[in-house]
Formats: sequence, C-alpha cells, structure tokens
Amino acid sequence: MAVATVEQAVRDWEVAEEQVGLWQDAWVRFRRNRLAVFGAGLVLFLIVVAVASPLLVNLGILKNPFTQHVDSIQTAPGVNGFALGTDILGRDTLSRLMIGSAVSLTVGLLVQGIIFPIGLTIGLTAGYFGGRVDNLLMRFTDIWYAFPDLLFVLVVVSVWHLDGPWFIQLIPIFGAIALVNWVNLARLVRGQVLSIKEKEYIEAARSSGSTPVKLILKHLLPNSLGPIIVTLTFGIPQAIFLEAVLSFLGVGIRPPQPTWGQMVYDGYEAIYANPTAVVFPALAIGFTLLSFTFIGDGLRDALDPRMRR
Amino acid sequence: MHLRMGIRALTLAMVGAFVVSACGGTNETSGNKAPADKQVLNVNDGTEPNSYDPTQQTYTYEAGIGREVFETLLKPNAQGTDVQPAAASSFDVSSDGLTYTFHLRSGAKWSDGQPVKAADWVYGYQHLLNPALAAGYVDPFFDTTIKGADSYASVDVANAGAIDTFLQGLGLAAPDDNTFTITLQHPAAFFKWVVTLWVAEPIRKDIVEKAAGGSFPSSDTTKPEIWAQKAETIIGQGPFKIQEIAPKDHVTLVPNPNYWGGAPSLQKITEWFIEDANTAYAKYQTGDLDAITVPLANVDTVRSDPKLSKEAKVYPKLTTFWMTFNAMKSPLNNPDVRMAFAKSIDRDKLNKQVQHDIQQTILSFIPKGMAGYDDSNKAQAFDAAAAKALLQKAGVTADQLNKFKLLTRNTTRSKTLNGFIVDQWNTNLGLNMQLDVIDSKTVTSRIRKSNFDIYGPDGWGADYPDQQDWFDIFFTNSCGSLNWGCVQKAGGLKGYDELVQKADTELDQNQRNADYKTAQDQLINEAVVAFLFQDYEYNLIKPYVAGLTITAGDDQSLPGNFFWHDAYITQH
Amino acid sequence: MAVIAGRPKRGALLPVGLTRLTESRAGSLAFYVVRRVLWMIPVVFFVIVITFVLMHSAQGSPWDKAGGRQLSDVVIRNLNEKYGLNKPVFEQFFLYIWNVLHFDFGLSYQYQGKTVVELIGGGWPYTATIGVLAFLLIVPVGVGLGILAALRQNTRVDYATMGFATFAASFPNFVIGALMVVFFSVLMYKWTGGDFFLPAGGWGVDDHLIMPAVTLALLPIAYTARLTRASTLETIRQDYIRTAWAKGLPERLVVIRHVLKNSLIPVVTTLGPTFAFLVTGSVIVETVFTIPGIGRAFVVAVTSRDYPMILGTTVLFSVVIAVANLVVDVLYVFIDPRVRLS
Repeated sequence: MAVATVEQAVRDWEVAEEQVGLWQDAWVRFRRNRLAVFGAGLVLFLIVVAVASPLLVNLGILKNPFTQHVDSIQTAPGVNGFALGTDILGRDTLSRLMIGSAVSLTVGLLVQGIIFPIGLTIGLTAGYFGGRVDNLLMRFTDIWYAFPDLLFVLVVVSVWHLDGPWFIQLIPIFGAIALVNWVNLARLVRGQVLSIKEKEYIEAARSSGSTPVKLILKHLLPNSLGPIIVTLTFGIPQAIFLEAVLSFLGVGIRPPQPTWGQMVYDGYEAIYANPTAVVFPALAIGFTLLSFTFIGDGLRDALDPRMRR
Repeated sequence: MHLRMGIRALTLAMVGAFVVSACGGTNETSGNKAPADKQVLNVNDGTEPNSYDPTQQTYTYEAGIGREVFETLLKPNAQGTDVQPAAASSFDVSSDGLTYTFHLRSGAKWSDGQPVKAADWVYGYQHLLNPALAAGYVDPFFDTTIKGADSYASVDVANAGAIDTFLQGLGLAAPDDNTFTITLQHPAAFFKWVVTLWVAEPIRKDIVEKAAGGSFPSSDTTKPEIWAQKAETIIGQGPFKIQEIAPKDHVTLVPNPNYWGGAPSLQKITEWFIEDANTAYAKYQTGDLDAITVPLANVDTVRSDPKLSKEAKVYPKLTTFWMTFNAMKSPLNNPDVRMAFAKSIDRDKLNKQVQHDIQQTILSFIPKGMAGYDDSNKAQAFDAAAAKALLQKAGVTADQLNKFKLLTRNTTRSKTLNGFIVDQWNTNLGLNMQLDVIDSKTVTSRIRKSNFDIYGPDGWGADYPDQQDWFDIFFTNSCGSLNWGCVQKAGGLKGYDELVQKADTELDQNQRNADYKTAQDQLINEAVVAFLFQDYEYNLIKPYVAGLTITAGDDQSLPGNFFWHDAYITQH
Repeated sequence: MAVIAGRPKRGALLPVGLTRLTESRAGSLAFYVVRRVLWMIPVVFFVIVITFVLMHSAQGSPWDKAGGRQLSDVVIRNLNEKYGLNKPVFEQFFLYIWNVLHFDFGLSYQYQGKTVVELIGGGWPYTATIGVLAFLLIVPVGVGLGILAALRQNTRVDYATMGFATFAASFPNFVIGALMVVFFSVLMYKWTGGDFFLPAGGWGVDDHLIMPAVTLALLPIAYTARLTRASTLETIRQDYIRTAWAKGLPERLVVIRHVLKNSLIPVVTTLGPTFAFLVTGSVIVETVFTIPGIGRAFVVAVTSRDYPMILGTTVLFSVVIAVANLVVDVLYVFIDPRVRLS
C-alpha cells in the first residue's frame, strides 16, 4: 500500500509540474532569447505601421498612395520629394509600401494559419497510423501536387468574384493559396513522424498507456517543430508572391490597392531603369521574413522539451 | 492585324512593348559592306510561330517569317500609298472591276530551283480557302471577295467531295504558266491590297503531297500541314529560305539563291523567340541582337544614354488604340455619356508622360501615314468641364456609373494605361470606378459575349493601308467579334453599314475617301469608342545595319522586314 | 522460412522462392516499389479527370485571340470540328483516355501539326539539364550550409547563412535572374569592353547554363539550408549525441555517423518534390533566360487553352512527382532503418 501511494504521489507531482511548467517555462525562455524578442519587436513595428499608415495618410504626413503624379514617373529615391521614389504611374513608393503592409502581412500570415492545421493533421495522421491510411493520404497528396493550380484559379475567377474592401477580396486568395500549399507541410510532418514513432521512448510511452492523441501531441509534435516552423516562415514570402500571381489572373486584390507582391511584379519591367521599385518591396518582404525567422527560432528553442532538463 | 499588346501574364514574361514623323524612311549609313561572313542579322521575333505554312499564319510574329520565305503577288510600297509589283510584275483589272489578271515574273524560281507556275498560285489560294484547314485570315478578306468563296461557311468540312466542288468553283484560274487570274463576286477597289496579305502565297502541290506520303482527300486536316513542319520541306519563292528551325529558340534564314530579284546581301538572318523584353534589351547591349523594341519603362534611360540614344529611332505604326464602351448597357447607350468619358481623359498626360512621349495622341480613327488620316475633327478632345456638363445633360448620376468596371487584360501595359485612365475618369467626372484585371483569354471570351462594361485599351493595326480594312470593324454584324460596343444594336451609327459598304465597293478613290470621312466623323461624334493614341515603336538598331527601308507596316519589332532583301551590314 | 504451424503467412499461396523474396528486406522493399508504381496509375488517372473537368470549365476557348482580329464563327466551327471539340465532353474524355493508352497524347492546338509528345519530348532535355544542374548545386550547398549553421549556432556563420536565406526568399526568382543579367551580362560587358561577360540568356552547353541554374537554385538552397539547420539542431540535442560528445568523439565523426543520418529525413522529404519541380521546369527562369524547354509549356498551354498540352504537361508532372515521392519514401528506409513502410 505504501509503495503505491508514493508512486501515486510522484505521478501526481509530475503531472502538476507539467501543467504549470510547460507554457510558463517556454515564455520565460522566449523572453530571455534576445533575437526572438528583437524579432517580436520588429513584427510589432510592422503591425503598427500597417495600422497607422491610413491614419498618417489622412493627416497628410504620408503622401496619398493612390495619387498619380504623372510628371514624376519612375523617379529615384529623394527626387521631387518622394522619399523612396515613384512607380510607373508616379505614385509614392513609400506610402504604397506602408499602406500595402496590411494586405501583405495578412496574406502572408493568415495563409500559414490555414496551412498549418491542414498540413499538420494530414501529416500526423498519415505518419502515425501508417498502412492503408498512410497510403491513401499520400496518394491524395500526390494528386494534389500534380493539381493544375493555375487552371483551378482560372476557373475560380469565372465562378467566384468577391467585391468589397481588400479583406473581402482576400478570401478567395486564402482559399486558393492554402488549398495548394499544404502538401509540403503534410509530407514533412509525416516524414518526421515515421522516423520518430519507432524510437524507444515512444515505445516506452505507448506501453505506459498513453493515448494516440497524447502521444502525438506530447512526443511527436514537439520533436518535429523545428522544420515545421521553418516551412511556415518560408511560406510567408511565398504567399505574398502568390497573391501577386493570383491578382494577375483576376483573383483577389485589384489595383490600385498596393500589395508588396504586386509592387515587385510591376516593378520588374522597369528593373533596368528603376531598380528601386523592385528592391524596396522585396526588402520589406525580407524584413518581415527575418522577423518571423527570429521569432520562429526563439519559439522552437523555447518549446523544446529537452531544454527543460 | 493581330496585335500583341504586351505579353501575357502570370509571372511570366512581362514585355511592354515604342519623334520622328517621317512615315517610312531609309536607314542611310555610309560605310562599305562588311565581308560575307559578317552579313548576319539578329532580330527578335518575340514568339515562336504556330505554323510555318503562310496560309495558316495569323499573327505578326508569324508574318515576320512567312514574308521572307514566300512572296505575295504585290506588296505595299515603302510609303504605304499604293501597291507595287512583287511576285507579279504587273496586273490588270477588267473595266467592270471583276477580273484581276496577274502577270507573273518569267524566270521566277522556287528555292529548290523549280520554276514558279501559275498553277502553284491556284493551289496556294485553294489551300488557303480550304474550309477544313480553317485558316484564320480567310474571313473576311477572301471569302467575301473571291467569286464562289461566299459559300465558304456552308461547306461540310467532313465531306471531301463537297470541299473539292467548292475549291474548283472558286474564281481562280491559270490560263498559262505565267498568268494567274482571280475573279471577284463584286467590284472591290481594295482587292489589290488583299493580295498583299502574307497569307496569299503560292504553294507547291508536289511538295505537300510528297511530305504527306501521297495525295489525300481535301477533308484531311493533318496531312496538308506535314510539309510545314520541317525546314527542308518549306520551299518558298521569297528572298530567303529557312535553313533551320530550333523550336522555341530561333529560326535561321539564309538567302534563296533562286530569287528573281537576285540573292540578298544578308547571308543569314536569325529570328530569335525572346519573349522577355528585358532579356532582349540586355542582349542588344551585349551585341547578341541587332534590333529591338525598347521596353516602355526603359525609354528614358535610353534617351539619356549618350551611346544608345544615337541608335534609337521612333517609327509610326498604322495602329490606333481606343477604349470601347458596351453600348448595350445603359446608360452607355447614350452617346453623350460615352463622349463624356472620351472627353475626360487627358491624353497629353497619358501619351507624353505615362507613355514617355512615344505614342502620339490621336482623336480620330485612321492613323497618320495612310490615306484617310484627318485630324480636323476634335470632338473628343480633353475638356473636363464639358465632360461633366455632358453627364449632367444626360441626367446620369455617379452611382449609375460607379457600378461599371473597366475590364483590363493582365499585361503590364494594359494595367498601367487603365490605371491612369480610370483615375482620370474618377478625378474628372467625380466617379469611383474600379479596374477588373483578368487573364487575357477570359477577357476575350467575355467581350465576345458582351459581358463587360468598358474595356480597353483595344486597337487595330492595319492589315494593309486601305480604309476598307478599318471601317469594316464597326459593321453591325461584327457585334460580338470586332465591334465589341455593338453601338448599332443600341440605335447608333445610323446608315453606317450602307455607307461603308458603298465605299468598299466604289471604284472611284475620291468618292471612297469622302464616304469614309463621313463614316469616320460618325464614329468620332457618337464616341463609339474613345480614341487614345497612335502606336509608335521605339526601336534600337545597331548603326552597322544599313539599307533598311522602314515602313509603317513592318511586322512588330522587325524594322524594315518588308525590304530585307536590300539590307546589309557595314564594316564595324 | 518455414511456415508457422496453424497460421498461413502472407504469400503462402506463392511458390516458395517468391515467399523467400518477399520476406527478405530487399524483397519487401522491391515489392513495395512495385505496389507504389501500380498506385501511380489511379493517381495519374484522377489527375487527368480533374484537369479535364477544370479545363473545360475555364472561360475562354482556344480560339479566342488576345487582341486584334478575332477568328470568324465559321473558322471556329471548323476548328472545333478539326480537333474534335464539338463532341460532348464525356466522349472527348473517353477518346483521350483511349488514345493515352496507345501513348497518343494528341496534337497541340497552338503549334499546328505538332504532337504533344513531340513538343514535350523536344523541350524536356533542356529543362531537365538546367534542373539537374540546379539540384546538384542545391544538395551540397544547402545541406552543407545548414549543418554548418547548426553546429555553429548563433555565431557569425549562422547569421550569415540566415541573412543569405532571407535575401534569397524575399526576391522572386525572375527578379534575381534579371538582376544577375544586369550585372553579369550588361554591366560586365560594358566594364570589360565586351571581353568577359555571361550571355544574357539563350541555350548553350557552356556558360549559358550558369545563370539559369544558379537563379533556380537560390531559393531551394536557402530553404534547404534553414531546414537542415533546424533538423540538425533537433538531432544534436538528442541524448545519444550528447553521449557521443561526452565520450570525446571528434566532431566530424559524430556528424557523419550520427547527426547527418538522422537530420536528413525532413531534408530529403522536401528535396524530392523540389527535384520534381526543377526537372519539369520553372516558367520564370526559362522565360527570363529564354531556355527552349517545357517550363513554360504548362503555363502557356493554360493561358492559350491548348487542352492537349495542358493534359500532357500535367500528366508528365504527376508522374515525375509520384516517382520523386516514391524515391523519397525508399530513401527514408535507407537513412533511418527504423522507418517501416507499409
């Protein structure tokens, strides 16, 4: 009787420690990681810019991004009072960058938010259950890889035309991009799971009576986080560019609403004459990617169960 | 003439495609001829042809090759004012205007040495008019003019016998080896221009049949094209012949030693298929291309470059651009409303600034450089106040118009121009209209079904410098295929069809001009479309390319290609 | 290999020799590969069905021209007759499948008289060459940089790699391509008076291949490097690696024997589809550098509604991706012997 009680007590204590410890621990570690905090700060800055820029335009501090100054077309930075120059219709690049940040950030981030659960679920299911489930899910993935996405988008264009402010226009884009891009994440996760699930400590956990879900969430997932985070952060610029591609086909954000992706694409033609029209939006995208890379790294370090020891 | 207004989309190639007022001019360069091994010309045709059979070609980038390898009976002269002899040394028209007799050059030979016979011409025209092959340029040039061709639409293409009967019944004859006669359904003063179209070429029946492995029924759709797949079997009678075809990469042309006009000076012309204008621009600077069209975005850079600016020239094209209104959507059926839109575009800003002063404003239909150009009617000139007044007079509110969208093709050029134009409308008329940027094919599909409000910039490039080619666009029955606005259906352009048809068939040139002028005024005054600009090409040509005769009808980005026989490279 | 009494083993109906084969490791792997290859058939079939449906639902016909003179109704009617487009869609579908079984993928609508097989077969070598070259760059550079960054976490090397990766991912590859052309072709031509410069595009089995391959490789290198780094970091922290360090084994030995193998799973997972994408071509790179390959083929086919080409390129791609994923799955077994494929 005494042994059982002690064992029970130890188990209770462990459980208690886990429940209290995991998230707080992670947060403390994240805070201590200077780069991660820096990254978070950058993201905060971007969000402030995105939210504040319409206000700045109204106050006149920022030039109106839609006004076409046709006598100053494609000027270099600093000329005629345009801090970062102008584009092909004489619109101020700086204000277009700032106004466009809201759209591009939303696209970049929210799409990952859709891809993450889809890819994760499918990958985990396929990897964990193996056998027929894995086969069917992976063949489904094969079909999806070969899916003619361009064609699909064209069909969507003719069928689904949403009107309104940019966040409404974004809905079909989310759908289109997410629909197409979850496959990589799914295969990645599945690969991880396949290699981890045969390891000894998993065996141990399984034999100690953990349910599949607990097993997956507690052991498989945390050990696969690193590559997942990398994939998601790289997905951000990908989604931003994909939005530009889609707008070319008539899905999504219409001009004159600026988006970083479209600014890069539109600037390409003038790359010889006015390279800054391409470079600045690309830098903005890079800046965003960098911030999320820092955060992602920090997050992974923070959540790593091994670091707890 | 098919236009490629900027390149299609996706991430893909972005091409844009533009002072001089002389229309046509020779590129005089002093300097002696370079030795034979340096007589090489590298140009950018842009896109690979869909077919090397000239009768099946429909785009200017295909004509750019077809024109060199084959030669038409007549060709436009350098000034574009009349036709001049080409494969035919002369021609007569009967007094009733129905029979054209072409006297072929005696001694003319194909590139394989065989003499060119009138029977080859008959076969070529029949090949063109074979309904089973569905050549794009048959309608309306040939089936509305040549006798017997008017039943083109009703031939059962699955029935070889029906096709044969149709082809034999055409007004084409070869009374002797050097005479080719064409009989028309009715007189047509412009027919002499129709035969200058690059699709109207002779074809060698024996070559076609040999490549197909023997004779074949007229209803066969693949055998008649086998000869056009390989360079060795593409036998023409033009100044050049095809030496090799490197798919998606380039075509190499070498002199046709048997050309009646003597072998050309150029020993090799390589027409590359470079879709990306920036890449072509880079290749010009590294010496891999000798002539290119400067992408619009780089015009200012070239102008301010000491070296490049000397090599750059602006050439007018016989092409006009405009915005089209769907007259079947109220209130666009009201000419005052359309005119309000036309008068609220500041074309000065559009062309001098946004288009870097390459394209020139035009307020009328026929471009400068061909008969019929007349800039006296300035009804569509920019006047924001007058435009607003027109809207008020029509009793139209902003709300009614704000639901309209400006349909735009997904090319950089279209997006840029429409971005400016819609901004002009919004600013000058107090509106809040939006752009609708869509994939090109979908756009075409929609405008064919009249599923659009306003669309542009659309335009027309002359197939040949005769006004008939232009005014026929706005016929009532072109509604849904060229006359996108369908203004007649909305009650406009009264009497237009009859007037133009009269002018088309009239033999007296002065009377024709007068009638066409009346029709043009109708188009302008009713603002059937809002005229914007005439297209000019801003080209860079290396200084060592000499002997070029540049005409307004040259194929896109191929300066002087109607007369490349006389071009040569100087020592450099 | 005796049959356990009372319980028929899998394959008990097969002759003994074959049973021995399927029970050996190599044998079961081979069996797995064969089954996977057979599974490709339904996969490709479904892809064809989906593509067919989408194609015919998209607005716009192959005969609508992008501008200028449109084809007349008569001509369109005759063209539809010529290419069998006037038949009901079901019939067209079955006809297509029947032809495919005879390896006939039809005629292109765009390039008169040319078969899809001819067009794809003619262009593929160019695309594949550049793709393979790019892949040969990606694997060593990407994986190498990743491992280096992981082993030297939070040092300058790590930050440099991160910076490079960020740069490569923030510029779409046509921009990178164009910038390379500006620098290595135009500017270098100017500065060296035409003596030393890279060609601004076009095909040639020489320095023409450098810029396209590098442009294609940049983003995958960046992603592979970061992925490898992340995966390596996970592996390094495992207990048995710590044990190896503790035992004093030299770094290189540890890396090669233990770390590499175990961190490669996610890398290999993404390299498979990457290879498939590379080898079936990039629209952008082929357009900017005018490579006469098939990279543009799919995109051009879709925008011009060239149905047979759309189907042909899609089928090609689905086969390539299925093979690539199969290779990846097989590689899993070799990398991590514990992985059990079903």
